[in-house]
Amino acid sequence: MNGSEIFGAWVAVFLTLGIFSYLYKDNPFYKIAEHVFVGVSAGYWMSMAFWTQVQPNLFGRLWPVPEGEIAGFFMRIWYGIYNIFGFVLPSVFPTGGIDKGHGTDPHFMYILPFALGIMMLLSVINKLSWLARLGIAYTVGMAAGLRAYAFLNSNVLGQIKGSAVSFVDMPLFSLTGVSIFNNLVIIVGTVTGLLYFYFSKEHAGNFGKVTRVGIYFLMISFGASFGFAVMGRISLLIGRFTDLISYGGATYHYASIWVLLLMVVLLIVWTIKGDKKTAS
Amino acid sequence: MEKFLDFIVRAGSLDRRYIFLVIALVVILPLFFPIGLPIRPTNSSQDVYNAVEKLKAGDKALVSFEYGPSTKPEIQPMAVALMRHLMEKDVKIYITCLWPDGQFMAMEAIQQVAVRQYNKVYGEDYVLLGYRPGAEAVIKGLVSNFRKVFTVDARGNFLDDIPMMEGVNQVADFDYLFSASAGYPGTVEWVQYAADPVGITMSTGTTSIQVNEVMPYVQSGQIVGILGGMPGAAEYESLIGQPGIGTSGMDAQSVAHLVIVGFIIFGNISFFIERRRSKKY
Repeated sequence: MNGSEIFGAWVAVFLTLGIFSYLYKDNPFYKIAEHVFVGVSAGYWMSMAFWTQVQPNLFGRLWPVPEGEIAGFFMRIWYGIYNIFGFVLPSVFPTGGIDKGHGTDPHFMYILPFALGIMMLLSVINKLSWLARLGIAYTVGMAAGLRAYAFLNSNVLGQIKGSAVSFVDMPLFSLTGVSIFNNLVIIVGTVTGLLYFYFSKEHAGNFGKVTRVGIYFLMISFGASFGFAVMGRISLLIGRFTDLISYGGATYHYASIWVLLLMVVLLIVWTIKGDKKTAS
Repeated sequence: MEKFLDFIVRAGSLDRRYIFLVIALVVILPLFFPIGLPIRPTNSSQDVYNAVEKLKAGDKALVSFEYGPSTKPEIQPMAVALMRHLMEKDVKIYITCLWPDGQFMAMEAIQQVAVRQYNKVYGEDYVLLGYRPGAEAVIKGLVSNFRKVFTVDARGNFLDDIPMMEGVNQVADFDYLFSASAGYPGTVEWVQYAADPVGITMSTGTTSIQVNEVMPYVQSGQIVGILGGMPGAAEYESLIGQPGIGTSGMDAQSVAHLVIVGFIIFGNISFFIERRRSKKY
C-alpha cells in the first residue's frame, strides 16, 4: 500500500463522514465535503470532455498531422493559426498537428461545431450573448430530431407491441412467468391507467369506477418505485460502510476510527460554542 | 391500553436522528456478523445469465459503463460478475463509457477481473475504448460507424493497431450488448438508438431506482433480462458461482428492509391513532 493510496483513503473517510454529519445537522464538515464534491465533479467532467472529445475529435480533425510538407497558401495560413495556438497551449496543440487517427487532411466541416461551441461560450459576455442562442438552437433542434424517431420506435411502437399479449398456449396462472392471468392484469392495468389520464370526461359513474382501478395500478407502481428507491439508498449505504470498515483497518492506519473520533469531538465543541453564542 | 397507545403516538414523533442511528446499526451489524440468508435468482437475472450462456468463445460483447462512484456499490458488483462470466466463456469484451467517471469504474473492474483473476491480454481479449461525450449521439455514431466515434482507445492506441478491433465497424458487428447504467445516458438510450434499430441482443444492469423505468422494455422483450441494484448483482454472483461484494451486502440489505418496513407500519399505526383521537376531540 503506497502513501497516496493511504492518503486517498483518509480523504475518502473524511468526505464520507462529512456528508453523513448532515444527518446530525448542517455543519462546517458537511459544507466542506459538499463544496469539494461540486467543485471536483465540475472540474473532472470538464477536463474529461475536453481531453476525450474536444482535443482529439474536434481539434484532431481540424488540424491533423499533414502528410509531408504543408502545401498551398490557404493551408499554410490554416496551420499558421494552429502554430499560434500551439505557442500559447503546446500541450493541447502539439507541434506539427494532432495525430488521433483522423487522416492527414483537415475536416473543414468541423469548423461549424467549433464556431457553435464558441458562440455558446459567448453567453458570458452581455453584448454577444445573443450568439449563444444559435448554438443552443442547433443543439435543441438536433436533439429533438434525434429523439423523435427513437421515442416513436422504442417507447410507442415497441411498447404497443409488448402490450399486445397472447392468451394461447400458456398456463392459467403463474406467479412470475407468463400466464393468462398476468396478461389480463397487463391489459386491465394499461387500459385503466390510460383512461385515468383522459380528462375530457368527468371521472364519475362507471367511468369513474374504471379510472379508480387505474389509480390503484398507478399507486402500486409508485409503491414499487418507492421500494426500489429505498433498496438503492440502502445499497449505497452498505457500499460506504463497507469502505469505511476496510479503511478502519491497520493497513490504512485506522483512518475511519481516527477521523470519526476527531469529527465527533469537533462537532461537540462546535455545538457547545454555537449554543453559547445563541444564549448570549 | 390507553397508555400503550400514548406510547405509540409519542414514539411516532421520535426525533428522526434516532431512526438514522437504528438504520446505521442494522446495516453495520450484518456486515460484521453475516447471517447467510439464501439468494434466489429472479427470472430477469436468470435471463441475463442465459443470454450470456448462449455466447460462444470468440463472440464479441459490447459492455458500456454508465455510472460513477455515487452508484458504484450497486452497479460495480454486477459489472464485475458479468465480466467474470464473459471471460470465463472466452468472449471478447469491448468497453465503452458514456459517463466520464465510468472509465475509472471500468478500469477498476478490468484490473480486478481481466488482469488479476483471468490474466487476459489487452487488445486481444478485452479493450477499453473509453469515454466519449455526446450521450445518444455517441450511440447513434457507434451504430453507423464505430471508427468515427473511436479512432483511439483509452490508452491512445489506434483502433487499427488493436487486433480484436478487426472487423468491428458498427454495433451490428457485436453479438451481445450490456449496459451497466445509473441513469442518463444509459440503458434507455441504448435501447432506443442501438438495440431496437439494430436488433442486437441486449441486457442491462441498473440501479434499483431505475428498475421501474427500464422494466417495461424487459417485459416487452426489447431488453433480455435486467439486474436490478445490489440484489441483482448478488443473484448474478450466485448464478455464476462466484460470491462477491453483492452477496456480502445482501444480509445488511435484507435486515435493513425489514426494519424500514417495521418503521413504516409503526409510523402508520401512530398516524391513525393520532387521527382518530383528533376526530374524537
